[in-house]
Amino acid sequence: MQFVVNGLVTGAAYALVALSFSVVFRVGRFFNFTHAAVFTWAGYFGYLCWTILGLSLWAGALLSVCLSAVLGVLLELSVYMPLHRRRASGVVLLLVSLGLYTIMQNTISMLFGDEIKRLSGNTVAEGLSVWGARATRIQLAIVIICVVVFVAFGILLRLSPFGTRLRAVADDPDLAAIQGVQVHRFRLAASALGSGLAAVVSLLMGLDVGITPTVGLNALMMGVVAVIAGGVDSTPGIFLGGILLGLAQHLGVWKIGTQWQDAIAFAVLILFLVLRPQGFFGKPLRKAAV
Amino acid sequence: MDYLIHILVLVCIFAVLTVSLDLLAGHMGSLSIAHAAFYGLGAYTSALIVTRIGAPFVIGVAAGTVVAAAISFIVSLPSLRLHDDYFVIATFGFQMILVSIFNNWMHVTRGPLGIPGIPQPVIFGWHISSHADFLILAFVFAAFAYFVVYRLTSSPFGRVLHAIREDEVFAQALGKNTLRFKVTAFAVSAALAAMAGSLYAHYITYIDPTSFTVMESILVISMVIIGGAGSTWGPLVGAVVLVTLPEALRFVGLPSNVAANLRQIFYGALLVVMMMFRPRGLAGRYSFGR
Repeated sequence: MQFVVNGLVTGAAYALVALSFSVVFRVGRFFNFTHAAVFTWAGYFGYLCWTILGLSLWAGALLSVCLSAVLGVLLELSVYMPLHRRRASGVVLLLVSLGLYTIMQNTISMLFGDEIKRLSGNTVAEGLSVWGARATRIQLAIVIICVVVFVAFGILLRLSPFGTRLRAVADDPDLAAIQGVQVHRFRLAASALGSGLAAVVSLLMGLDVGITPTVGLNALMMGVVAVIAGGVDSTPGIFLGGILLGLAQHLGVWKIGTQWQDAIAFAVLILFLVLRPQGFFGKPLRKAAV
Repeated sequence: MDYLIHILVLVCIFAVLTVSLDLLAGHMGSLSIAHAAFYGLGAYTSALIVTRIGAPFVIGVAAGTVVAAAISFIVSLPSLRLHDDYFVIATFGFQMILVSIFNNWMHVTRGPLGIPGIPQPVIFGWHISSHADFLILAFVFAAFAYFVVYRLTSSPFGRVLHAIREDEVFAQALGKNTLRFKVTAFAVSAALAAMAGSLYAHYITYIDPTSFTVMESILVISMVIIGGAGSTWGPLVGAVVLVTLPEALRFVGLPSNVAANLRQIFYGALLVVMMMFRPRGLAGRYSFGR
């Protein structure tokens, strides 16, 4: 039972990362590695606010989320927008983001060191009992926030003008522009939303297990696996992808040991990419252009 | 003087890696982030065979190349269906799985402890122990790799690779079995990377998984792109520039961990600047990933 609860908690966190990545991915259409850097920075913003400045839980969280959203917007403004304007291909954007990721991760290492930092100052709290298994308050919060965010996002995407525009830009930026969507301004809004959401997950996971300079990359890769398994354009698919990945990892641990968690996740990724790249709910990928 | 020769040996080892990666990235247009994994595969295979069985260096190198070429078939499989950035993500997955195996398959690779005491090579009675001897051997390896890739790319085989890069569907329409070409190019590239790996293992005489991580792959990619992908001299220029320039940091007298981070930041920044302002690299003709 403990495995199932752990799997659900991890899965909920993955699903949230996947959702935040999918927002950025839908409007940019490339694998944005700086999203991982924003995720890491968000955790260290939290460390700065809580441990060094001594702000309260809510104030620190709010400030870190805002700072991360600003960081995301700045990256979009200074780097990705000029490249999008030049119609750079997905591989070019990916490489640029990889370079930026390297810079941002190493800056963190230089400023804070490589060792693990705890975000929660107080001692380990007694876990609550759920279905005969133990879970901490933070872990419960992760699951609850995950469900709330997914429901809210589903409504936002279907019923609000923002959602309609998001889907329009994701489908075809040029056509969206013709219809009067301000694609560039919209990309900024989407990167603020995606980065803010990533910051929320980063802080939650940081409170649960602590942060290191590489948390972002690990989290992003799990998010990418969940997105690809679920289908990029399907919100329920992403949710299911995250939860199933979390469960698969933890049930896998039960059979073969903790150290193979990452290998399991990446094996899932490759299986999906080879056998069903559109995910279980996605539409077929674009064919090679002739 | 030994220090200078050491740098030159490293340049030669990295030249083997960049030239072999360029066969894929520059000439065929499939960027792979799994190059360090094949480099590691060669290093581990060779080190294990030589230390466990006591086989000579030549057998170790041969075994490394064979194993890497065989494993590369698994990596080239997704290239059946994946294009561009999706393919990059698939190779990223392979890289992570292989590093996970180096780290966790304790009774074979000794995990993070690494393999110490790898003997220096003896080739037909020539005991290679001094730095100068190593430079000769490394130069021979680099020249061999360069020769293989140069011959391949200036042959009809190379013209088909270029056709795949420009327009794969068109190459297929001309009756070329593009899958076969892709698989062959992958096998050659992986085998050359593995050669570099064996050389590295027997030169440093100690290996552990940290030398073969995704950051190493990114470094090799940066070298290829900064030098100029798909050109005759580009990959060599990249290897020379990115191995020697950061060495200057050594003389500034920074603490070693800060210097390591600064070096990574330098690679990342160069990659970003080149991709944004000069995508064809220092010595290249073909702008990468148009």
